[in-house]
Amino acid sequence: MLVRIGLLTEGGYPYVSGDARLWCDRLVRGLGGHEFDIYALSRSQRQEDEGWIELPPQVNRVRTAPLWTAEDDGVVYGRRARRRFAEAYGELAAALCGGPDTGNTSDGADPSTIEADRFGSALYGLAELARDEGGLVGALRSEAAVRALERACRAPGALAAAREARVSDLLSVAAHLERALRPLSLDWYEGDGLGSVDLCHAAAGGPAALPGLVARHFSGVPLLVTEYGVPLRAHYLASGADDGAPAVRSLLAAFHGGLASEIYRRAVLVTPGNTHTRRWQERCGADREKLRTVYPGMDASHFAEVGESPEAADPDTLIWVGRIEPAKDLVSLLHAFAEVRKEEPQARLRIVGAATGAESEAYLGHCRALAAQLFPDEAEDIHAVGDNPVSFEEIGGPEAPTLAEAYAAGAVVVLSSVVEGFPISLVEAMFCGRATVSTDVGAVVEIIGGTGLVVPPRNPRALAEACVALLRDPARRERLGAAARARALELFTVEQNVEAFRGIYLEVVSRCPVSEVVLDGAGEPLPFAVPAEAHVPGRWTHAGMRVVARGGPGWTTGHASAPVQATPVPAGEGAR
Amino acid sequence: MRELGELDRPGAPDSPGTWDEHVDELLMGAPETHVRDTDADPTRTRPAAPSTPAARRGTADPVKALMQRHRELCERAVDPLEIAAGLEAHGVTDRTAARFRHRDVFSLAEEMYARVSREADTAPRPTPSPAPRVRADWVLLSLLPGALCAATVAGLRLTGGRVRPAVAILGALAVALAVRAALGRGPLGPRSHPASPGTRPSGTPGSTRVWTCWLLAYALLGDDLLTAALTGVGPGGLPAAVRDLSTAPVLALTLACAPAAWCAHLFAAGARRKLTASRGLADFTAAVKPLLLGAFALFLCASAALVAISATILREPAAWTTTVTLGALLLLARLLTAHGFTHAPAVVLGAASATEATAPATAFASRLPGCSFLATPVDTVVAAWGPAAIPAAACSVAALILLLHATRTLTRASAHAIAGEPG
Repeated sequence: MLVRIGLLTEGGYPYVSGDARLWCDRLVRGLGGHEFDIYALSRSQRQEDEGWIELPPQVNRVRTAPLWTAEDDGVVYGRRARRRFAEAYGELAAALCGGPDTGNTSDGADPSTIEADRFGSALYGLAELARDEGGLVGALRSEAAVRALERACRAPGALAAAREARVSDLLSVAAHLERALRPLSLDWYEGDGLGSVDLCHAAAGGPAALPGLVARHFSGVPLLVTEYGVPLRAHYLASGADDGAPAVRSLLAAFHGGLASEIYRRAVLVTPGNTHTRRWQERCGADREKLRTVYPGMDASHFAEVGESPEAADPDTLIWVGRIEPAKDLVSLLHAFAEVRKEEPQARLRIVGAATGAESEAYLGHCRALAAQLFPDEAEDIHAVGDNPVSFEEIGGPEAPTLAEAYAAGAVVVLSSVVEGFPISLVEAMFCGRATVSTDVGAVVEIIGGTGLVVPPRNPRALAEACVALLRDPARRERLGAAARARALELFTVEQNVEAFRGIYLEVVSRCPVSEVVLDGAGEPLPFAVPAEAHVPGRWTHAGMRVVARGGPGWTTGHASAPVQATPVPAGEGAR
Repeated sequence: MRELGELDRPGAPDSPGTWDEHVDELLMGAPETHVRDTDADPTRTRPAAPSTPAARRGTADPVKALMQRHRELCERAVDPLEIAAGLEAHGVTDRTAARFRHRDVFSLAEEMYARVSREADTAPRPTPSPAPRVRADWVLLSLLPGALCAATVAGLRLTGGRVRPAVAILGALAVALAVRAALGRGPLGPRSHPASPGTRPSGTPGSTRVWTCWLLAYALLGDDLLTAALTGVGPGGLPAAVRDLSTAPVLALTLACAPAAWCAHLFAAGARRKLTASRGLADFTAAVKPLLLGAFALFLCASAALVAISATILREPAAWTTTVTLGALLLLARLLTAHGFTHAPAVVLGAASATEATAPATAFASRLPGCSFLATPVDTVVAAWGPAAIPAAACSVAALILLLHATRTLTRASAHAIAGEPG
């Protein structure tokens, strides 16, 4: 069945410098049987200037909009529009401040549901205003917005932090909200835009999924959200770094939390990239039944040769591969290696990777100094030139020309991070069929699943013992390596990722067909205009086949002229 | 696929010290050196090393110790999820949380959030946002129009004959470019206001520019033109009127660019200060209104002084009212435009220009047969108060309207939203 998918991205595909563009590209190329409309929000002028990557033919159209700038369209609201704006924005502000409800809600409902409803209705109220009147950008910057925020902050029952807000805090919250709500003013929801696709797939949460929410509200398009990271968590980490006032931080946290839970509530399916993301989603109110973990896929072909020839490894070498930075805790690795050397004097450690940025460079220098201190250069006899048992290399150097060869050279691959998300190097090691020793951080346990050794983070002794155990036992190494490779090929290939999404697309579309209401010339709904056969899988109604039912027999359309599609569908819940 | 991992890569903790200490030190029990493995592991049975630091330092309340360690995070956090995110960025996982008798990091974070003492919650003093600074570039640029205009006037005085028109044209061009440059940056420039980050500064509308030029041209030769029109000088008299430019007002106005920039700077800096100090929007408006009026009054005084000086130097009669009101009108229009309110200045300047244009137009039209009644109102006004009364009235009424508008719009907090706000 041909599905028309609206792929929503933010600062990603199809821009050359986009996040996760590789994943999107593989997804779009892998699902040649479907059509893709790409709706991309760009993050900066530079990103726009760098251009797009090459797009496959199944991409029907690409629409882009800048998120980093917004042009005020100069619409000045009349009195009714002003009141609508003040109501919707006031509701949003009240939902953020946790103040009393200005509207009337039924008694006895769950307070968190009420809160989410208020947030959602305020959001859609603003979206409707933008659709009907335009001029939302100017309104979000106006004094009315700041005043509504102030009123919400001073309302009884507002958060303690919000009550402390000063004028400058209010202004920065208003500016942030204006920026975050820019997708509401886009012209993507009209006619044959997002309203006409079968399914919206947001490639990330947060701002990328906002157009999907609005399209769902206006036209009942089902929304599928894929998150490889949690935007809310990223927001917390970013806001922890800047030195904003508590009022600003708590209001913005409330906004991002509200947005995340609204997205999870409204999405038909949410596909986290790993269990860690999934836990956050559950925490933010995602229904367990909606969650399907879809692991990211990686290209296994580079590692096929290495993975099928485990004998290439040097039996005494430990390998560490990755980007060198403090979170990788190489210091702990070096201490662990000192312990290993006590047990296995022949052992060598190769650290393959590059440092980018001043902090990482400094860290690399520190590690080199520590290695030189811990391990003196040694030679085979008194005539040979000495060498250090720990070497620092970069991919592309003479020792490790490619990534696969770097993995191939070692018997055991070590991961010593204290903080990790979804460690790619571990998956690559698994593709290479290498036994691994990793620290128990991030998604490591989930990835390795019993095909390698896992030790607590920041525990060099445990790390050393695990390494020694593997170095001494080639048979076990081989067994673990083979199991790891089998597991990775099962779970982490591009094919499984693409296939999972193919299945999910069909499932979503079959569960929530977009019901198009077709009107006749007089504006009355036309019965039988979209026959049931239109939803049958397969493209069996193409031009070559003479099937009567496609448009319905002539008498069903009566004397009216060609049917026109009603936009917008009087929609929301009813359409689903 | 590399970038997928980076997406979820937690940020590095800011203090380097945390990297070198061990989370396990804080735990109650000695962390056993366990190796998790589905494969049977021979090393597992080995007893834990007896001298791990945590074995020596057990505390009765491990969560308290953890809170002590992440004190800054706990005190800053606005909700439990922020603590959870921070803990995870420091490598605390659900397995770690289990050792604090919690199901996961979230419930551990909730306990920490609930236990952190907030009575001593000293809200950090609002750090005043960086006030706009006095920079050499706009200070010098604001002096440039006056200097060029003075040079042009001197040139006009010293030269004669056929060189004179060339000097006048070149001078006018140079002054126009200098004014443009002076208004392009600094407190009068559009960049100092952007109502919101990431927005392109809205340019001055073309109509505002046209009306400004017209008003200046009228100040230069309007009165003489009007007198000529009313007294019925023949076509030969007009060039004489044009030749006899009244340069003093224009010199005063171009010199007034500098005080205008300074007044705008004082207003912007004061508003920025009030922005951080005010608790509410009403407070802010109340505090900024006197600031605006003060800056405006300061400019009036400064421009009056400049009118006196330039009239003395050029030995022309000092046209106080026309020049000062025109200066006030242009300053207010510029302030409003620079803060993003472009509509009102364009309309008001247009109205003032139209009024000024009507006077000589009716005077000339009255010469047509049967139309002599057209000149009556202008004639009456000029007879009573002189030809300067018409531009003075037009400009002062317009300036008054803009001043009222400015006290309503420029005293709003949203007009002073700080550029480059995170968001």
